[in-house]
Amino acid sequence: MNKAPAWLQILSRSGAALLGGYALTYAASACLARLLPLAPADAVIVATLPAFIFYTAAILWAFASRDALRAWALLAVAAPLALIGFWPQALEWLA
Amino acid sequence: MKNTFTQSMAWLHTWGGLIFGWLLFAIFVTGTLAVFDKELNHWMQPEIPASEVSQADAARRAISYLQTHEAQAGNWGVSLPTERSPGLRVSTAERRHGGGVQLDPHSGEAIEVRDSVGGNFFFRFHFTLDLPRNWGIFVVGALALVMLAALVTGIVIHKKIFKEFFTFRPNKGQRSWLDLHNASAVLLLPFHLMITYTGLVIFMLIYIPAGVDALFAGDSRAYFQAQGNARMEQPRGLAKQPGELVDVVPLLAQAEAALGPIAGFNIRNPNTAGARIEIRPVLGNRIALSKGQAMVFDGVSGQLLSDVTEWRAAPLTQRVMVGLHFAQFGGYPMRWLYFVCGVVSCVMIASGLVLFCVKRGRKYATASADASARRWYRLTEVCNIGFVAGLLLACVGLLWASRLLPAELAQREAWEVRAFFGVWLLALLHAGVRPARRAWVEQLGLTALLCIGLGLFGGLSDGLRQGVVACALVLGVLLGVLAWRVQQAVPAPLKGRAARSVEAGA
Repeated sequence: MNKAPAWLQILSRSGAALLGGYALTYAASACLARLLPLAPADAVIVATLPAFIFYTAAILWAFASRDALRAWALLAVAAPLALIGFWPQALEWLA
Repeated sequence: MKNTFTQSMAWLHTWGGLIFGWLLFAIFVTGTLAVFDKELNHWMQPEIPASEVSQADAARRAISYLQTHEAQAGNWGVSLPTERSPGLRVSTAERRHGGGVQLDPHSGEAIEVRDSVGGNFFFRFHFTLDLPRNWGIFVVGALALVMLAALVTGIVIHKKIFKEFFTFRPNKGQRSWLDLHNASAVLLLPFHLMITYTGLVIFMLIYIPAGVDALFAGDSRAYFQAQGNARMEQPRGLAKQPGELVDVVPLLAQAEAALGPIAGFNIRNPNTAGARIEIRPVLGNRIALSKGQAMVFDGVSGQLLSDVTEWRAAPLTQRVMVGLHFAQFGGYPMRWLYFVCGVVSCVMIASGLVLFCVKRGRKYATASADASARRWYRLTEVCNIGFVAGLLLACVGLLWASRLLPAELAQREAWEVRAFFGVWLLALLHAGVRPARRAWVEQLGLTALLCIGLGLFGGLSDGLRQGVVACALVLGVLLGVLAWRVQQAVPAPLKGRAARSVEAGA
């Protein structure tokens, strides 16, 4: 990946920032909404308010990581968070 | 991206800031203007009389007009004269989006008012870029996110954040532009962060519906019901029986005592036994945005049916953040504070864009640079001029169009919008054919003249319109000084943007 031309690296990192960042933000908000000890209507709001902090951090990660492949590690972080957030749905799907 | 974290962040700040900065500048400028949207509405529709009529009298006249002309309508809407919006407007459900009818608050007679997009255009452009609404809010949301990332990376690459608070070295070319960019950014950093983040919070559940998807299986209606925002049932049977409408004025007084200043009211099923009167406060009675709140009264007995709800802590937090963005609270002092802070944000973005070119001009705009680099540099320069000076020109152009287009023109509002985008496009083309420094001077100079010239249209009968013209005058003079400074900048090495622009044009 390090040998890839600069424009490809930039494209890949931008994709990681936009899509990987969105996936991470979405998953983190869902996870937080599920775990917060609040009424569902309140948990949705409290879990979504910090969403753009996650997204900003993800964008910075996508451009700061050592190589362009590592930028996509965002997806690896998003997956378990999404699993916690959508735990009941996941169980239903498995059953 | 680069060797160190700071270098990576500097790269992201530079390129992200450049590519998205052009549209971000447009969003910040129109957002700053939208702080005075109602005042601009009033200026752009000079037929609306300046009035000092009590809301009670205005409400009585509005209802007697509606009884005479729209007795059978299913819904009456009345916008009462307020401090910022002296007009009296009535509408019916059928014509709700046609803007309704403007009444003379003194006589209660309909008056002919030109159609105009008004200052509302700036408000709509600010959050949709005049794209279809659903596309627009996503594009603007993505841009706001880039803005947030640019702010954070800007902080990261800043080593001496406190010292640069006090640093400004004028007339030193690139250094001055860097200092201006840093000073405007650091000085109002809390404002920049606040306005960007709260802007994202407005539509956060549209952008990130994760919580609703996870806890309500994506059913947003169930979510809103859980929030207690369910609409009140309309009594269907009663709406068929005739009934006599109660006097609205005491109800207005009752609502005003509870809610503060009133913006207007709606009457559903007027003249029936099922009539409902909904009275809404102006948005700025508290920091939390009170949009959608109303006190509902029975239209026959005048009994209070439902009061405004108190928000729980979580929705209140969101409402307060949204309210901080909408800037409706605190009256005119707060409005001016937001306007000035908004101007500083615009200066920060514009100076960053200019800095990009100033920094690279020495390298790319000279004859020794290779052709493709020079072409890209020139493109950047043209976009800078067209998206900074050109946008300002388009904004004041819209104000001129609202007064110059014939009042009875069909689809007048669409023509005003065309004028706005037409001027903007012409400015971009103009920047493309003129040497850069000339283009800056000409566009800034013309914008300044048009701003100063707003007073020529007269109609300075009331404080609101005088305020618009006076503010435009001050901004015009400032832009004029800026144009003059660009013109005067000495074309010698290390003497600022203009020097390099001249080389680029040569």
